Amino acid sequence: MNEPDATSTDAESAEALLERIAAGSEAALEAFYRLTHQRVYAFTLKRVGDPAMAADILNDVMLQVWHHAGRFEGRSRAMTWVLGIAHHKVMDALRRRGREDRHEELDESIPDEDSAGGIDAVAGVEDASAVRRCLEKLSDAHRTVVHLAFFEDLSYAEIADIAGCPLGTVKTRMMHAKNALKRCLQTLGAAG
Amino acid sequence: MTMHDDSTHPDELLSWYVNGTLEGPERARVEKHLESCRRCRDEAAWLARLREQIKAEGGADAPGELGLRRLMRQVRGSEAKPRARRLQWWQPALAAAVVVIVIQSVLLVKPWQEAETGIVPLGMQVSGAVVQVEFAPTATEAQIREVLQAVDGIIVDGPGALGVYRIRLQGVSPADDARVAAAVAALRARKGVVVHAAAE
Repeated sequence: MNEPDATSTDAESAEALLERIAAGSEAALEAFYRLTHQRVYAFTLKRVGDPAMAADILNDVMLQVWHHAGRFEGRSRAMTWVLGIAHHKVMDALRRRGREDRHEELDESIPDEDSAGGIDAVAGVEDASAVRRCLEKLSDAHRTVVHLAFFEDLSYAEIADIAGCPLGTVKTRMMHAKNALKRCLQTLGAAG
Repeated sequence: MTMHDDSTHPDELLSWYVNGTLEGPERARVEKHLESCRRCRDEAAWLARLREQIKAEGGADAPGELGLRRLMRQVRGSEAKPRARRLQWWQPALAAAVVVIVIQSVLLVKPWQEAETGIVPLGMQVSGAVVQVEFAPTATEAQIREVLQAVDGIIVDGPGALGVYRIRLQGVSPADDARVAAAVAALRARKGVVVHAAAE
Protein backbone atom coordinates (compact mmCIF):
# COMPACT_ATOMS: atom_id res chain seq x y z
CA MET A 1 0.00 0.00 0.00
CA ASN A 2 1.38 3.35 -0.91
CA GLU A 3 -0.86 5.71 0.91
CA PRO A 4 0.72 8.98 1.98
CA ASP A 5 2.47 8.72 5.30
CA ALA A 6 2.45 11.18 8.07
CA THR A 7 5.95 12.18 9.00
CA SER A 8 7.20 10.02 11.79
CA THR A 9 9.08 11.57 14.64
CA ASP A 10 11.72 10.27 16.98
CA ALA A 11 9.24 10.63 19.77
CA GLU A 12 6.70 8.33 18.16
CA SER A 13 6.42 5.18 20.22
CA ALA A 14 6.98 1.72 18.84
CA GLU A 15 3.36 0.97 19.70
CA ALA A 16 2.10 3.91 17.62
CA LEU A 17 4.36 2.90 14.76
CA LEU A 18 2.94 -0.62 14.79
CA GLU A 19 -0.53 0.82 14.42
CA ARG A 20 0.55 2.75 11.34
CA ILE A 21 2.41 -0.24 9.94
CA ALA A 22 -0.79 -2.25 10.25
CA ALA A 23 -2.46 0.41 8.10
CA GLY A 24 0.20 -0.09 5.44
CA SER A 25 2.62 2.75 6.17
CA GLU A 26 6.09 2.02 4.81
CA ALA A 27 7.45 5.14 6.51
CA ALA A 28 6.28 3.75 9.85
CA LEU A 29 8.06 0.47 9.10
CA GLU A 30 11.28 2.36 8.38
CA ALA A 31 10.92 4.29 11.63
CA PHE A 32 10.16 1.10 13.54
CA TYR A 33 13.23 -0.56 12.06
CA ARG A 34 15.45 2.36 13.05
CA LEU A 35 13.98 2.37 16.54
CA THR A 36 14.31 -1.33 17.29
CA HIS A 37 16.72 -3.05 14.93
CA GLN A 38 19.85 -2.72 17.05
CA ARG A 39 18.21 -4.40 20.01
CA VAL A 40 16.65 -7.12 17.87
CA TYR A 41 19.99 -7.72 16.18
CA ALA A 42 21.87 -7.82 19.49
CA PHE A 43 19.39 -10.38 20.81
CA THR A 44 19.62 -12.62 17.75
CA LEU A 45 23.40 -12.33 17.49
CA LYS A 46 23.81 -13.34 21.12
CA ARG A 47 21.69 -16.39 20.38
CA VAL A 48 23.09 -17.58 17.05
CA GLY A 49 26.62 -16.17 17.22
CA ASP A 50 26.75 -15.60 13.47
CA PRO A 51 26.42 -12.00 12.19
CA ALA A 52 25.12 -13.06 8.76
CA MET A 53 22.49 -15.34 10.23
CA ALA A 54 21.54 -12.68 12.79
CA ALA A 55 21.09 -10.15 9.96
CA ASP A 56 18.88 -12.61 8.06
CA ILE A 57 16.77 -13.20 11.15
CA LEU A 58 16.48 -9.46 11.76
CA ASN A 59 15.22 -9.08 8.19
CA ASP A 60 12.70 -11.90 8.68
CA VAL A 61 11.51 -10.36 11.92
CA MET A 62 10.92 -6.99 10.29
CA LEU A 63 9.10 -8.61 7.36
CA GLN A 64 6.86 -10.37 9.85
CA VAL A 65 6.24 -7.04 11.56
CA TRP A 66 5.25 -5.61 8.16
CA HIS A 67 2.86 -8.45 7.43
CA HIS A 68 1.39 -8.95 10.89
CA ALA A 69 1.60 -5.65 12.78
CA GLY A 70 -2.19 -5.81 13.00
CA ARG A 71 -1.85 -8.78 15.34
CA PHE A 72 -0.16 -6.64 18.01
CA GLU A 73 -2.87 -6.26 20.61
CA GLY A 74 -1.09 -3.95 23.02
CA ARG A 75 -1.13 -6.47 25.85
CA SER A 76 2.65 -6.15 26.09
CA ARG A 77 5.16 -3.52 25.11
CA ALA A 78 5.97 -3.43 21.40
CA MET A 79 9.60 -4.29 22.12
CA THR A 80 8.55 -7.39 24.04
CA TRP A 81 6.30 -8.38 21.16
CA VAL A 82 9.01 -7.98 18.54
CA LEU A 83 11.59 -9.80 20.66
CA GLY A 84 9.07 -12.62 20.97
CA ILE A 85 8.97 -12.83 17.18
CA ALA A 86 12.76 -12.79 17.11
CA HIS A 87 12.88 -15.56 19.71
CA HIS A 88 10.77 -17.85 17.54
CA LYS A 89 12.80 -17.02 14.44
CA VAL A 90 15.99 -17.83 16.33
CA MET A 91 14.57 -21.14 17.56
CA ASP A 92 13.60 -22.06 14.00
CA ALA A 93 17.04 -21.09 12.71
CA LEU A 94 18.83 -23.05 15.42
CA ARG A 95 16.68 -26.09 14.74
CA ARG A 96 17.44 -25.84 11.04
CA ARG A 97 21.09 -25.50 11.82
CA GLY A 98 20.81 -28.52 14.03
CA ARG A 99 22.49 -27.14 17.07
CA GLU A 100 20.37 -25.38 19.58
CA ASP A 101 23.38 -25.03 21.79
CA ARG A 102 26.33 -24.04 19.76
CA HIS A 103 29.14 -24.17 22.29
CA GLU A 104 30.62 -26.48 24.80
CA GLU A 105 28.24 -25.77 27.62
CA LEU A 106 29.03 -25.12 31.18
CA ASP A 107 28.32 -27.98 33.49
CA GLU A 108 25.03 -27.00 35.03
CA SER A 109 24.59 -30.22 36.94
CA ILE A 110 26.88 -29.02 39.70
CA PRO A 111 24.84 -28.23 42.81
CA ASP A 112 24.07 -24.57 43.31
CA GLU A 113 24.56 -24.30 47.04
CA ASP A 114 26.69 -21.46 48.29
CA SER A 115 26.10 -19.77 44.98
CA ALA A 116 26.78 -16.32 46.35
CA GLY A 117 30.32 -17.06 47.43
CA GLY A 118 33.56 -17.20 45.54
CA ILE A 119 36.21 -14.50 45.58
CA ASP A 120 37.39 -15.54 42.09
CA ALA A 121 33.94 -14.97 40.70
CA VAL A 122 33.85 -11.53 42.28
CA ALA A 123 37.18 -10.65 40.69
CA GLY A 124 36.29 -12.44 37.45
CA VAL A 125 33.28 -10.29 36.74
CA GLU A 126 35.65 -7.34 36.37
CA ASP A 127 37.28 -9.06 33.39
CA ALA A 128 35.12 -8.19 30.38
CA SER A 129 36.74 -10.78 28.18
CA ALA A 130 36.21 -13.53 30.77
CA VAL A 131 32.57 -12.51 31.17
CA ARG A 132 32.07 -12.67 27.40
CA ARG A 133 33.67 -16.09 27.13
CA CYS A 134 31.58 -17.45 29.99
CA LEU A 135 28.35 -16.02 28.57
CA GLU A 136 29.07 -17.72 25.28
CA LYS A 137 29.36 -21.04 27.08
CA LEU A 138 25.90 -20.82 28.57
CA SER A 139 23.14 -22.86 27.02
CA ASP A 140 20.93 -20.92 24.62
CA ALA A 141 18.03 -20.92 27.08
CA HIS A 142 20.16 -19.52 29.89
CA ARG A 143 21.96 -16.99 27.70
CA THR A 144 18.58 -15.75 26.50
CA VAL A 145 17.37 -15.04 30.03
CA VAL A 146 20.62 -13.31 31.02
CA HIS A 147 20.58 -11.12 27.90
CA LEU A 148 16.96 -10.13 28.28
CA ALA A 149 17.39 -9.40 31.99
CA PHE A 150 20.66 -7.46 31.86
CA PHE A 151 20.91 -6.06 28.34
CA GLU A 152 17.22 -5.37 27.80
CA ASP A 153 16.33 -4.84 31.46
CA LEU A 154 13.09 -6.79 31.09
CA SER A 155 11.04 -8.12 33.97
CA TYR A 156 10.80 -11.85 34.50
CA ALA A 157 7.19 -11.72 33.34
CA GLU A 158 8.21 -10.10 30.05
CA ILE A 159 10.98 -12.66 29.57
CA ALA A 160 8.51 -15.48 30.20
CA ASP A 161 6.24 -13.92 27.58
CA ILE A 162 9.03 -13.77 25.01
CA ALA A 163 10.40 -17.24 25.71
CA GLY A 164 6.95 -18.77 26.08
CA CYS A 165 7.68 -20.44 29.39
CA PRO A 166 6.34 -20.20 32.97
CA LEU A 167 7.56 -17.46 35.31
CA GLY A 168 9.20 -20.01 37.59
CA THR A 169 11.20 -21.37 34.69
CA VAL A 170 12.63 -17.94 33.96
CA LYS A 171 13.70 -17.52 37.57
CA THR A 172 15.20 -21.00 37.68
CA ARG A 173 17.08 -20.44 34.44
CA MET A 174 18.50 -17.21 35.77
CA MET A 175 19.65 -18.91 38.96
CA HIS A 176 21.34 -21.69 37.02
CA ALA A 177 22.88 -19.24 34.57
CA LYS A 178 24.25 -17.08 37.37
CA ASN A 179 25.81 -20.04 39.14
CA ALA A 180 27.25 -21.40 35.92
CA LEU A 181 28.78 -18.01 35.18
CA LYS A 182 30.35 -17.88 38.62
CA ARG A 183 31.86 -21.32 38.21
CA CYS A 184 33.17 -20.38 34.78
CA LEU A 185 34.70 -17.13 36.04
CA GLN A 186 36.30 -18.99 38.94
CA THR A 187 37.73 -21.57 36.55
CA LEU A 188 39.10 -18.93 34.20
CA GLY A 189 40.51 -17.02 37.17
CA ALA A 190 42.24 -20.14 38.45
CA ALA A 191 43.57 -20.95 35.00
CA GLY A 192 44.73 -17.39 34.40
CA MET B 1 24.00 -8.41 61.69
CA THR B 2 20.88 -10.56 61.43
CA MET B 3 21.52 -14.16 60.47
CA HIS B 4 19.36 -15.62 57.73
CA ASP B 5 18.43 -19.13 56.89
CA ASP B 6 19.46 -19.95 53.28
CA SER B 7 15.85 -20.51 52.35
CA THR B 8 14.98 -16.93 53.18
CA HIS B 9 17.51 -15.33 50.80
CA PRO B 10 15.59 -13.88 47.83
CA ASP B 11 18.13 -15.18 45.30
CA GLU B 12 15.48 -15.82 42.67
CA LEU B 13 14.48 -12.13 42.70
CA LEU B 14 17.83 -10.36 42.99
CA SER B 15 18.48 -10.18 39.23
CA TRP B 16 15.22 -8.31 38.71
CA TYR B 17 15.83 -6.11 41.69
CA VAL B 18 19.16 -5.17 40.11
CA ASN B 19 17.68 -4.41 36.68
CA GLY B 20 15.00 -2.23 38.27
CA THR B 21 11.93 -4.17 37.16
CA LEU B 22 10.95 -5.66 40.49
CA GLU B 23 7.86 -3.99 41.90
CA GLY B 24 5.40 -4.05 44.75
CA PRO B 25 5.66 -6.55 47.59
CA GLU B 26 8.52 -8.43 45.93
CA ARG B 27 10.64 -5.30 45.74
CA ALA B 28 9.76 -4.39 49.32
CA ARG B 29 10.71 -7.87 50.47
CA VAL B 30 14.11 -7.69 48.79
CA GLU B 31 14.83 -4.19 50.07
CA LYS B 32 13.95 -5.20 53.60
CA HIS B 33 16.11 -8.29 53.35
CA LEU B 34 19.09 -6.39 51.96
CA GLU B 35 19.09 -4.05 54.94
CA SER B 36 20.21 -6.88 57.18
CA CYS B 37 21.94 -9.39 54.85
CA ARG B 38 25.52 -8.77 53.81
CA ARG B 39 25.58 -11.92 51.68
CA CYS B 40 22.72 -10.72 49.50
CA ARG B 41 24.11 -7.20 49.25
CA ASP B 42 27.33 -8.71 47.89
CA GLU B 43 25.31 -10.87 45.53
CA ALA B 44 23.34 -7.87 44.29
CA ALA B 45 26.58 -5.94 43.78
CA TRP B 46 28.00 -8.84 41.75
CA LEU B 47 24.88 -8.98 39.60
CA ALA B 48 24.98 -5.22 39.09
CA ARG B 49 28.58 -5.46 37.88
CA LEU B 50 27.64 -8.32 35.56
CA ARG B 51 24.84 -6.19 34.15
CA GLU B 52 27.25 -3.33 33.53
CA GLN B 53 29.64 -5.62 31.68
CA ILE B 54 26.83 -6.99 29.51
CA LYS B 55 25.62 -3.51 28.65
CA ALA B 56 29.17 -2.34 27.94
CA GLU B 57 29.56 -5.24 25.54
CA GLY B 58 26.86 -3.56 23.49
CA GLY B 59 24.86 -4.80 20.59
CA ALA B 60 27.69 -5.26 18.07
CA ASP B 61 27.44 -3.76 14.62
CA ALA B 62 23.85 -4.02 13.49
CA PRO B 63 23.11 -3.98 9.74
CA GLY B 64 21.80 -0.41 10.02
CA GLU B 65 20.78 1.38 6.83
CA LEU B 66 21.99 -1.46 4.62
CA GLY B 67 19.62 -3.80 6.37
CA LEU B 68 16.84 -1.26 6.05
CA ARG B 69 17.38 -0.95 2.30
CA ARG B 70 17.26 -4.72 1.97
CA LEU B 71 14.04 -4.86 3.96
CA MET B 72 12.29 -2.09 2.04
CA ARG B 73 13.34 -3.60 -1.29
CA GLN B 74 11.60 -6.82 -0.27
CA VAL B 75 8.56 -4.98 1.06
CA ARG B 76 8.14 -3.01 -2.17
CA GLY B 77 9.01 -5.96 -4.37
CA SER B 78 6.21 -8.07 -2.95
CA GLU B 79 3.74 -5.35 -2.24
CA ALA B 80 0.68 -7.38 -3.15
CA LYS B 81 1.90 -10.41 -1.24
CA PRO B 82 0.51 -9.67 2.20
CA ARG B 83 -2.88 -8.82 0.86
CA ALA B 84 -2.91 -11.92 -1.33
CA ARG B 85 -2.03 -13.98 1.71
CA ARG B 86 -4.64 -12.36 3.83
CA LEU B 87 -7.55 -13.07 1.52
CA GLN B 88 -10.52 -13.93 3.63
CA TRP B 89 -12.17 -17.28 3.09
CA TRP B 90 -15.40 -15.64 2.08
CA GLN B 91 -13.98 -13.52 -0.72
CA PRO B 92 -13.69 -16.32 -3.30
CA ALA B 93 -16.98 -17.67 -1.95
CA LEU B 94 -18.58 -14.27 -2.43
CA ALA B 95 -17.36 -14.11 -6.00
CA ALA B 96 -18.74 -17.55 -6.73
CA ALA B 97 -22.04 -16.72 -5.04
CA VAL B 98 -22.42 -13.49 -7.00
CA VAL B 99 -21.73 -15.30 -10.25
CA VAL B 100 -24.34 -17.95 -9.43
CA ILE B 101 -26.89 -15.25 -8.64
CA VAL B 102 -26.07 -13.41 -11.83
CA ILE B 103 -26.40 -16.54 -13.94
CA GLN B 104 -29.69 -17.47 -12.27
CA SER B 105 -31.00 -13.97 -12.86
CA VAL B 106 -30.12 -14.21 -16.51
CA LEU B 107 -31.78 -17.57 -16.90
CA LEU B 108 -34.95 -16.20 -15.30
CA VAL B 109 -34.97 -12.95 -17.21
CA LYS B 110 -33.84 -14.33 -20.53
CA PRO B 111 -37.33 -15.42 -21.80
CA TRP B 112 -38.50 -11.83 -21.58
CA GLN B 113 -35.27 -10.19 -22.66
CA GLU B 114 -33.84 -12.23 -25.46
CA ALA B 115 -31.68 -9.34 -26.56
CA GLU B 116 -29.85 -9.09 -23.21
CA THR B 117 -26.68 -11.15 -23.54
CA GLY B 118 -24.33 -9.49 -21.09
CA ILE B 119 -23.54 -12.49 -18.91
CA VAL B 120 -20.68 -14.74 -19.81
CA PRO B 121 -18.70 -17.43 -17.99
CA LEU B 122 -15.77 -16.41 -15.84
CA GLY B 123 -12.52 -15.67 -17.56
CA MET B 124 -14.11 -14.84 -20.90
CA GLN B 125 -14.68 -11.51 -22.55
CA VAL B 126 -17.63 -9.65 -21.15
CA SER B 127 -19.64 -6.96 -22.79
CA GLY B 128 -19.82 -3.61 -21.06
CA ALA B 129 -17.15 -1.64 -19.28
CA VAL B 130 -15.01 -3.60 -16.84
CA VAL B 131 -12.91 -2.26 -14.01
CA GLN B 132 -10.37 -4.08 -11.86
CA VAL B 133 -10.79 -3.82 -8.12
CA GLU B 134 -8.80 -5.05 -5.17
CA PHE B 135 -10.68 -5.06 -1.89
CA ALA B 136 -9.08 -4.44 1.47
CA PRO B 137 -8.45 -7.65 3.39
CA THR B 138 -10.53 -6.27 6.21
CA ALA B 139 -13.51 -5.40 4.02
CA THR B 140 -16.69 -7.19 4.98
CA GLU B 141 -19.09 -8.86 2.60
CA ALA B 142 -21.69 -6.16 3.36
CA GLN B 143 -19.22 -3.39 2.55
CA ILE B 144 -18.25 -5.01 -0.74
CA ARG B 145 -21.92 -5.48 -1.67
CA GLU B 146 -22.62 -1.84 -0.89
CA VAL B 147 -19.71 -0.68 -3.05
CA LEU B 148 -20.87 -2.85 -5.94
CA GLN B 149 -24.39 -1.49 -5.66
CA ALA B 150 -23.09 2.08 -5.61
CA VAL B 151 -21.53 1.68 -9.05
CA ASP B 152 -24.11 -0.81 -10.31
CA GLY B 153 -21.39 -3.35 -10.78
CA ILE B 154 -21.21 -7.11 -10.71
CA ILE B 155 -18.24 -9.35 -10.16
CA VAL B 156 -17.54 -11.25 -13.36
CA ASP B 157 -14.14 -12.70 -12.54
CA GLY B 158 -11.61 -13.10 -9.78
CA PRO B 159 -10.03 -13.00 -7.43
CA GLY B 160 -6.82 -13.52 -9.35
CA ALA B 161 -3.53 -14.48 -7.78
CA LEU B 162 -3.06 -10.92 -6.57
CA GLY B 163 -6.56 -10.66 -5.19
CA VAL B 164 -7.94 -8.58 -8.06
CA TYR B 165 -11.60 -8.85 -9.09
CA ARG B 166 -13.10 -7.81 -12.45
CA ILE B 167 -16.25 -5.76 -12.02
CA ARG B 168 -18.63 -5.16 -14.92
CA LEU B 169 -20.39 -1.80 -14.83
CA GLN B 170 -23.90 -2.56 -15.95
CA GLY B 171 -25.23 -0.43 -18.72
CA VAL B 172 -21.94 1.38 -19.25
CA SER B 173 -20.26 1.15 -22.62
CA PRO B 174 -16.48 0.60 -22.62
CA ALA B 175 -16.30 3.62 -24.89
CA ASP B 176 -17.99 5.84 -22.34
CA ASP B 177 -14.79 7.07 -20.72
CA ALA B 178 -16.52 9.65 -18.54
CA ARG B 179 -18.84 7.16 -16.86
CA VAL B 180 -16.07 4.61 -16.44
CA ALA B 181 -13.81 7.24 -14.88
CA ALA B 182 -16.61 8.34 -12.58
CA ALA B 183 -17.15 4.75 -11.45
CA VAL B 184 -13.42 4.26 -10.82
CA ALA B 185 -13.32 7.49 -8.82
CA ALA B 186 -16.32 6.38 -6.79
CA LEU B 187 -14.63 3.05 -6.06
CA ARG B 188 -11.34 4.70 -5.07
CA ALA B 189 -13.22 7.01 -2.75
CA ARG B 190 -14.27 4.01 -0.68
CA LYS B 191 -11.04 3.89 1.27
CA GLY B 192 -11.01 1.10 3.77
CA VAL B 193 -12.98 -1.14 1.43
CA VAL B 194 -11.27 -0.64 -1.92
CA VAL B 195 -7.50 -0.78 -2.04
CA HIS B 196 -7.13 -0.39 -5.79
CA ALA B 197 -9.46 0.38 -8.71
CA ALA B 198 -8.67 0.97 -12.35
CA ALA B 199 -10.41 0.79 -15.72
CA GLU B 200 -9.51 -2.31 -17.67
